[in-house]
Amino acid sequence: MAGYQDLVLRVNLTTGKVATESLNKEWARDFLGGKGLGIKYLYEEVGPGVEALSPENKLIFMTGPFTGTIVPCSGKLGIITKSPLNGYILDCSIGGSAAVEIKRAGYDAVIVEGKSDYPVYLLIEDGQVELKEAGDYWGLCCHDTEEKLKKVYGDDYSVLSIGPAGENLVAYACITSDLYRQAGRGGVGAVMGSKMLKAVVVKGTGAVRAADAKKLMDVTYNAYKNDLLTDTNLWAYTDGTPMIVELSQTTGILPTRNFQQGTFDQFANIKSEAVAAAREAKKGCVSCGLGCGNFTRVGEAVVEGPEYETLSIAGSNCGINDLGAIVKFNANCDAFGLDTISAGGTIAFAMEMTEKGIYDFGIRFGDADKYVELPELIAKREGLGAELALGAKKLAEKYGGIEFAMQVKGLEFPGYDPRGAWGMGLAYATAPRGACHMSAWPVADEAYGEGNPFTIEGKAEMVKDLQHYNAAKFSLILCDFWALSFDIMAEMLSALLGEEVTAQSLEQAGERIFNLARLFNTREGLSAKDDVLPARIHRHPLATGSTEGKTLPEEEFIKMLLEYYSIRGWDNNGVPSGEKLQELGLR
Amino acid sequence: MQIKYLPEKCIGCRLCEMACSGVKEGVFNPSLARLQVASRYKAYKLVNEAKICDSCQSCVRACSTGAIKFEEGRLVFVKDDCVKCGACFEACPTGVLRPGGDEFPLLCDGCQGDPYCVKWCPHGALILEEVG
Repeated sequence: MAGYQDLVLRVNLTTGKVATESLNKEWARDFLGGKGLGIKYLYEEVGPGVEALSPENKLIFMTGPFTGTIVPCSGKLGIITKSPLNGYILDCSIGGSAAVEIKRAGYDAVIVEGKSDYPVYLLIEDGQVELKEAGDYWGLCCHDTEEKLKKVYGDDYSVLSIGPAGENLVAYACITSDLYRQAGRGGVGAVMGSKMLKAVVVKGTGAVRAADAKKLMDVTYNAYKNDLLTDTNLWAYTDGTPMIVELSQTTGILPTRNFQQGTFDQFANIKSEAVAAAREAKKGCVSCGLGCGNFTRVGEAVVEGPEYETLSIAGSNCGINDLGAIVKFNANCDAFGLDTISAGGTIAFAMEMTEKGIYDFGIRFGDADKYVELPELIAKREGLGAELALGAKKLAEKYGGIEFAMQVKGLEFPGYDPRGAWGMGLAYATAPRGACHMSAWPVADEAYGEGNPFTIEGKAEMVKDLQHYNAAKFSLILCDFWALSFDIMAEMLSALLGEEVTAQSLEQAGERIFNLARLFNTREGLSAKDDVLPARIHRHPLATGSTEGKTLPEEEFIKMLLEYYSIRGWDNNGVPSGEKLQELGLR
Repeated sequence: MQIKYLPEKCIGCRLCEMACSGVKEGVFNPSLARLQVASRYKAYKLVNEAKICDSCQSCVRACSTGAIKFEEGRLVFVKDDCVKCGACFEACPTGVLRPGGDEFPLLCDGCQGDPYCVKWCPHGALILEEVG
């Protein structure tokens, strides 16, 4: 099938068995690739009640039909597993070069099963696949692991690795690749660590085929020049995500001091111009064309970033006004293998707990010296780090403060305060993996655009549509930063596959994928009771800026949620109806 | 006209290699591209490098069968005349000239003056420059 390699690599770490099998083509047609196809495989292979950190969970690395082709912004790799935070579906993506190497090695997907008795890494060189002993790498930080492996195999290999956080099963451990790119959210690194899999090292030399390469190039070139490389998307090149700091400040949704405020007095220190001043170079993923990566150096600390989510959640939200400290914190999270969002959110919670006198964690807002040291302690579960490794929700369950533990389903909030963007509240509450900005991003309209942030009117429809759009896009796989239409996606996919795919069928695939994620979660016992926001969002008015005095009232939120269920064809408990499943071919 | 690489403008997307292999070989595979670009972090610095044919004609001089020629300002490859001796690869000073899957040289003909690698380069790291 053009666009696919038609091959899945399956690696069982318990038995050491490595095997290949045909890609399920029917599933590929219905769920595309990446996120969607990964969710489908996991749904079929990992049943309810399986512990996320047990050998029965699987870790799926999934490419998409566009991976390794001329289609720009297609270089990300989907990583799908059961979440160690909540037992629900977890899908993440990582940029860089690994996806293209896996596809060029001849595989659409790599499915890792079981658990090794000792540390191993997986070596993939085209058709040659081997599990290697990784005792010499266990305990190393991500950068050191990758550099050491590249010394053995060469700079042209891609490495996906975990740091000490993943090894120590910290619930918000990430997976790193190309030194500075991460699959950050939800603890994919902990799942990898639970399997004793330190790294995947991959090099492919093969080709990816289109039904008609020339046609795909013609169609794509038009989209590339006239849609991608335009002002709508080029902010990713000129600024990258730090541009959002000022937008959030102006609109009063910049998380500050654990979401007590929506503006930060010293925001100028962490806004785009400040990051640009410390920038050394721009870098993109393979196939990108935009190049959002800001290679930044402050003193000895270097990162590709810091991204907006880090600047906000680990910056203003922790009361940190020093860009150098944020870069250092970011670099330490990268090295030890932690998600900067969940780390920042958990630390901000501990800071407020301390300042409110509920429990003394010994760290307060703005305490930059202590804060930069925390990633190592968390990753190693040492001292205060052993507590913070629990994440905000479990910390609150242990010590109190649940009303201002800013999380949904155990996943800490990203950088947009829903009291100044009510649709974003719905997006957080209904995203399959917990509080997440990647399932839908209505703030673009309701806060940064022309929409009304303080109404529920039209938000259920907006969030639903965006969830379908992102589900389809991240399955193909295309990057978030290309705001392209379903029509363009369909045109490129048709040329790739050599068969007509309509925009409408892609939109429906998005809905199918989103509903399957929901089914995965309802099978685990999820229902409306879990689609909730922390009480702070309903009860504590924001303290400053253009959102001063605002909440998202609980009755308004519930009204919006029920409308959302209704237009989705779900019942009042958030369970998809038989009719809807029938319509989507999920039954 | 000659293709020139400006490393400071390169973001390492490799669309140039994808486009080159796509147009010349009908598949997407950087290993079959007529140029090679690498953008990697070394010792905590970003290092961008490329190998690009500058039409020095060493391969023409090394070719004993006349399969590689230089005509009207471009390299021309006559497949029927190639005996796959490999002398051209040896002679190439940059190593950009490589064998393809069938062992014939992956010769850059500059896409007849309108190179795809330049067309697909997003931020002007590959440009066309007048020679002399």
